Amino acid sequence: MPNILQTNQLTKTIDGRDLVKNVNIHVKRGEIYGFLGPNGAGKTTVMKMITNLWKPTSGSVELFGEKLTKSSYEVLKRMGSMIEFPCFYDHMSGKENLQLHCEYMGYFTPGCVENALEMLGLSEAGEQPVKRYSLGMKQRLGIARAILCKPELLVLDEPTNGLDPAGMKQLRDLFGMLRTEYGITIILSSHMLSEVESIADMIGVIHHGRMRTEISMREISEKNTAYIELTAGDSRKAAYVLTEKLGLDHFRVMDERSIRIYDTRIDTQDISKALAMHEVQLVSISKKSESLEDYFLKLTEEGEKSC
Amino acid sequence: MLKLIKLEWKKNNIIKYIRNAVILAVLLCLFIYALAFLGIANDPDGTLDAAEGMNTISAPIELFTSMSFLIFTSVMLASFIVSAYKNKTMNLMFSYPIKRQKILASQMTAVWLFNFAALVITKLFLYASVSIGSRGMQSPFLIDFDMGDLSFYVQLLMKAVVTVSMSFIALFVGMYMKSSKATIIASFILIFLTQANIGDYSLADNRVFPIALTVISFIFAVLSIYNAETKDLL
Repeated sequence: MPNILQTNQLTKTIDGRDLVKNVNIHVKRGEIYGFLGPNGAGKTTVMKMITNLWKPTSGSVELFGEKLTKSSYEVLKRMGSMIEFPCFYDHMSGKENLQLHCEYMGYFTPGCVENALEMLGLSEAGEQPVKRYSLGMKQRLGIARAILCKPELLVLDEPTNGLDPAGMKQLRDLFGMLRTEYGITIILSSHMLSEVESIADMIGVIHHGRMRTEISMREISEKNTAYIELTAGDSRKAAYVLTEKLGLDHFRVMDERSIRIYDTRIDTQDISKALAMHEVQLVSISKKSESLEDYFLKLTEEGEKSC
Repeated sequence: MLKLIKLEWKKNNIIKYIRNAVILAVLLCLFIYALAFLGIANDPDGTLDAAEGMNTISAPIELFTSMSFLIFTSVMLASFIVSAYKNKTMNLMFSYPIKRQKILASQMTAVWLFNFAALVITKLFLYASVSIGSRGMQSPFLIDFDMGDLSFYVQLLMKAVVTVSMSFIALFVGMYMKSSKATIIASFILIFLTQANIGDYSLADNRVFPIALTVISFIFAVLSIYNAETKDLL
């Protein structure tokens, strides 16, 4: 599959300070890309360069197979974006704001405004002026505006900011729907992994302006399967019990005393019972699981050390 | 371009500005009327208290309309453009598939056209009021214009162009300093520079000066949008 969005050694320096340095992102068509990083890592900076609001100091952005230049305007028709907190013309209603957006984008499909409002649950509030909106409503209106013109690529900077858990859930469902039904590619940033882990296909982690890793969700979950850590008096004896008596084969003898069992369906009690019956000394047994959150923290902490 | 200008008016709530311009015109009219016929500028003995050469009625009309509308234009430019940068709606505008220079040019044109029209209408309104009033009343001022003469209208339009264009200088200052207040303060300074007298010398009467000023104003207008394509928005 071709990359719909790609950055090559993207660097932005302002006043001698590298906001982001040598960032390489690869987003394939039709996937949801979670762009993760703690606050101030450079997520917004990268997104501003993707949407051509900021020009890179060096490196380049490739969108739809074309390099972004300072006069790339046509490409903006094919993307929807929401960078930082969305701004509106406060005295106008939500609906009017969206209509204005259509005018500027040159997009005229009847009913698209009503449709977008409905998708974000703003049908009723649509007639009210935006100055009366709450934070979460503005956020949702911003997303409505981003998806209004059925873009091929959706760039959303912290879209769940200011939303309640129900709102977040609703958004996740919406993103999933947009991808499957309209084939929209979505890149969304967040500082919380838990927000994107259920919907993202790919994760890019940025820290202190540098890419830490780019990894598919599948790989992460394979890397981070939970296991049972078992410390026994004699690991070889214990391993024998595990294979012969419990019928387990998915485990690894780490050293003379410890074993990791990757088959987590088995109960720890059954293991300790079996070991006791066969007179294998059991020092400790515990379930371990490295959640994505841990993985994410590990990545960013490594960054901390190297900096 | 025309469409962009219309959208600018729409989203910046042009109705509000029309209302304000009408209020301004009415206040100016009352003031000029009072000057011309009610004698508020007269000494207690009934003679006009005005400097030599300033005892014509067109002098206060030109002075006060130019002053008011230069400020009015700067205020509009400040809220259309400078504060759009500040409240980030410019970020939104620049995410559209429209050339940035074109966006800025359309905003500037939207303000320019509006104020040019408003200034011309206001001036005509004032001159007409004074001219109607002078039929029945005596004024200490000299009624020095002839509304039947074509050159009167040509001059009126030219002066309006100079006045409204001058606000681009204020816009440049405001954009450079990223401040709406700076835009408006700059317009006040421009008034002092162009309308004030130093002894016998005043820039207001010079013939070359208005042309030079307009040229300079447009240079500043171009400078304001020149590097919009590459400049980052903060």
